[in-house]
Amino acid sequence: MLKYTIRRLIGMIPMLLLISIVVFLLAKAMPGDSLSGEIDPNNTNPQYIAEMREKLGYNDPLPVQYFNWISSFVQGDFGKSTRYKMPVSDLILERLPNTVFLGVTSLVITYILAFAMGIFAGRKPYTIGDHLIGGINYLGLAIPSFIAGVFAIYIFSFNLGWTPYAGSVDIRIPQGTFDYWMSRLHHVIMPAIVLGALATASYTQFLRNDIIENSRKDFVRTARAKGTSTSKIYNVHILRNSIIPLITFLGFDIATIISGAIITETIFTYPGIGQLFLTSVTSNDYPTMMAITLLLSLLTLVGNLIADILYGVVDPRIRLD
Amino acid sequence: MKKKPLGLLLAIMLALSAFLAACSGDSASENDNNNENEAPEGEEGEATSGGTLTYGFETAPEGIFNPNFYGIATDAEILTLTDESLITYDENLQPEPGIASWETEDNKVFTFTFEQGVMWQDGVELTVEDWVFAIETLSDPDYDGSRYTNVETIEGAPAYRAGEADSISGLNVIDEYTIEITFDEARVNNLVNLWSYPLSRAQFEDIPVAEMSASPQVRQNPIGLGPFKVESIVPGESMQLVKFEDYWRGEPNLDSIVVQVLDSSTVVGALGQGDIDMISLAPVNGEEVEALDNVEVITYPGLSYYYIGFKLGTFNAETNEITEDKEKYADVNLRRAMAHAINRQEWIDAFFFGYGTPVDGPVPSNHWIAADSSELTAYEYDPEKARELLAEAGYEDTNDDGFVEDPNGEEFVVKFSHYQTTNPTFETRAQAIVQYWQEVGIQAEVEMTEVNLYYDMVEKDDPAIETFFGGWSTGSDPDPTGLWGSDKIWNYPRYKNEESDKLLADALNLEIVGDDEQARADIYAEWQKLISEDVPMIFISELEEIVAHSDRVQNVTYDVSGPNSPHEWSVTD
Repeated sequence: MLKYTIRRLIGMIPMLLLISIVVFLLAKAMPGDSLSGEIDPNNTNPQYIAEMREKLGYNDPLPVQYFNWISSFVQGDFGKSTRYKMPVSDLILERLPNTVFLGVTSLVITYILAFAMGIFAGRKPYTIGDHLIGGINYLGLAIPSFIAGVFAIYIFSFNLGWTPYAGSVDIRIPQGTFDYWMSRLHHVIMPAIVLGALATASYTQFLRNDIIENSRKDFVRTARAKGTSTSKIYNVHILRNSIIPLITFLGFDIATIISGAIITETIFTYPGIGQLFLTSVTSNDYPTMMAITLLLSLLTLVGNLIADILYGVVDPRIRLD
Repeated sequence: MKKKPLGLLLAIMLALSAFLAACSGDSASENDNNNENEAPEGEEGEATSGGTLTYGFETAPEGIFNPNFYGIATDAEILTLTDESLITYDENLQPEPGIASWETEDNKVFTFTFEQGVMWQDGVELTVEDWVFAIETLSDPDYDGSRYTNVETIEGAPAYRAGEADSISGLNVIDEYTIEITFDEARVNNLVNLWSYPLSRAQFEDIPVAEMSASPQVRQNPIGLGPFKVESIVPGESMQLVKFEDYWRGEPNLDSIVVQVLDSSTVVGALGQGDIDMISLAPVNGEEVEALDNVEVITYPGLSYYYIGFKLGTFNAETNEITEDKEKYADVNLRRAMAHAINRQEWIDAFFFGYGTPVDGPVPSNHWIAADSSELTAYEYDPEKARELLAEAGYEDTNDDGFVEDPNGEEFVVKFSHYQTTNPTFETRAQAIVQYWQEVGIQAEVEMTEVNLYYDMVEKDDPAIETFFGGWSTGSDPDPTGLWGSDKIWNYPRYKNEESDKLLADALNLEIVGDDEQARADIYAEWQKLISEDVPMIFISELEEIVAHSDRVQNVTYDVSGPNSPHEWSVTD
């Protein structure tokens, strides 16, 4: 397995290089550059813009620009955000805790909902309860997150007054106190539910289908014949087997935790990586945009690798070498 | 046991549908109940002093809280709370003494005198050295902001920037409170152009210029001269500002201001709930907010206007020259006809919800140089006149397709470009303009272009751009040369007229206007008259600034230069 892991890791290098080229070219193919918004005759002049273009290297040939960027990137220097005028790594680090907090909370919500609903539906397939769960799930899948977000704010923040609608914490509460963490939790719960509830569909349906399939297998019949209680069969024998396909999702989840939710973060004014990514795209902030994209690509690749390794751990029948 | 989650879900579902049904109804009564839970702390106190004001913003600040480095409007608005210009502007946009007062005899050499005892928020006294420090920073080659243009006219600044001098020769410090500034030549607008924000030498002295904008003195612990001091910042979402007791104009009334960023979709709800005390509104939200009982909507004249430009020529970036070489819209009668075809009032009511008025020239009507509307050629909505003018110019329908052909009998199709963002109304409003033209017999089509690409194309005179939508806002310096001079890249219509150039130059010429503001305004009026006759642009609308105040807010007033000094603001309970 070690050999396999090393081989996969080495295989990632050309893949990441290719991704970096694509990311770079796509970024450069976007119309305008980070200075095209700065047409303000009161505050600036064309000469300044021309000088800045030169300084930022926008006039160099593309291969030179790419090489400059990638060589410092490899050395850990992600460059300086053209919009926030601070190092991209600091910018990402500033937003990362928020995003991880939101991502983990929403994943927990997804898992709880998916397991509860998936197990129920799998045990009682083709009943009203199963159809209802299926219906709710696909409804959740079909509702775009910005609609769900706006409605959630309208209902839970404005009508019921249960949750805040903006920010990640109440600034008036001193940092580090118990109230501070409660406030963070209070602020994260709504976006996390919106994010988590909408993502349950695939988990639930996978789990449900697998449970149904497994329940028809020989080992279940054998267990039943032995007189094992139904709940033990489902909770131990079947569930353990049915979790395996879910590991595929886990690989993607690792990237999801970091990438956050672009739309949800924006609607809830929750300052995380997703919101940062959106503003970097709209303001042509190349260094930030490229750093985030590459980081997410790396995480997706690593996530998949972890998933593949986990397969082998969970299920010895899957051999890796 | 296992049934429980389902039961809960069902309950949530039911609750959801019940509230969705209530969405269309008036929710004000439900909102009121929630106010107590959400009320900020520290609100109790007398009506006139103390209390916290929550100031909402739809765009997150970038976090560059120093006037010497900031880039966007949100940061600028926060800076009006925490920092202060040495020179302020009155309701006619005329400079008036603030921390600094000035004297000049020839508009070339100015002597500035600072108030004594003005304190930075870190307790250090402000001296003219701080101003010198700011001007030197802006002139430094490593400076990464865009403000060099405000100091380059000081004598010796270009030499300092080029590294040929160790100091700026035009700055002559007389004592701690007095400085003499010499410009490279006498101009009427030297004063309004001059950079008027000092930079704390005590805070920034040890930081290399290239690293200043990223430093904690700018980001986390900014030190200003203004009435409120930054207490804490949560990047991208909120800020807490507390009053600066030693503020030079007097102790502020409010104890603190909380700056809260929120998404545009939540603005109306947040105002209704009383969470936000003050926020600038987009026109689209105006009507809904006006319906709220606890919120007052205030409008005051703005300094921006929207126009439809005609591409008349091209700009040569190497020689900085404009040549009017595009023929399609060269006929002034065609341009006038297209102007008469547009029902501006109807369009403004539909797309700016009435928060604007038609404008007839390139200067918003509240600016002191704005010509009286009677002097300008107004292009009222008059389809008949438009058709007449078209016929006069030789544009007639020769093949009976319902649309005019050009004088050579060729098909004539106007292409109208508009920028596209996520705002869904942009395409509709562009379509509306095109329909006005079609109604008078001009075939026209809309082309929506992504906003970044759009300005790139307009600037580079892309052949795809024929008529284009745009907006400008003017500052306190009335000089329109940057937008209209025939050697300027931001002269987007590529309008070249020697008379216009001459008038613009005359208005800045000391020998002609001296220090007589009226003489200057008269020349600008003449220039506006010329532009309105020539119609290189169809001027559509000037916008009002719209602000919402909750009923707690008091003593906030506005004029064309913006709100009054924040130290006078107060809230009731």
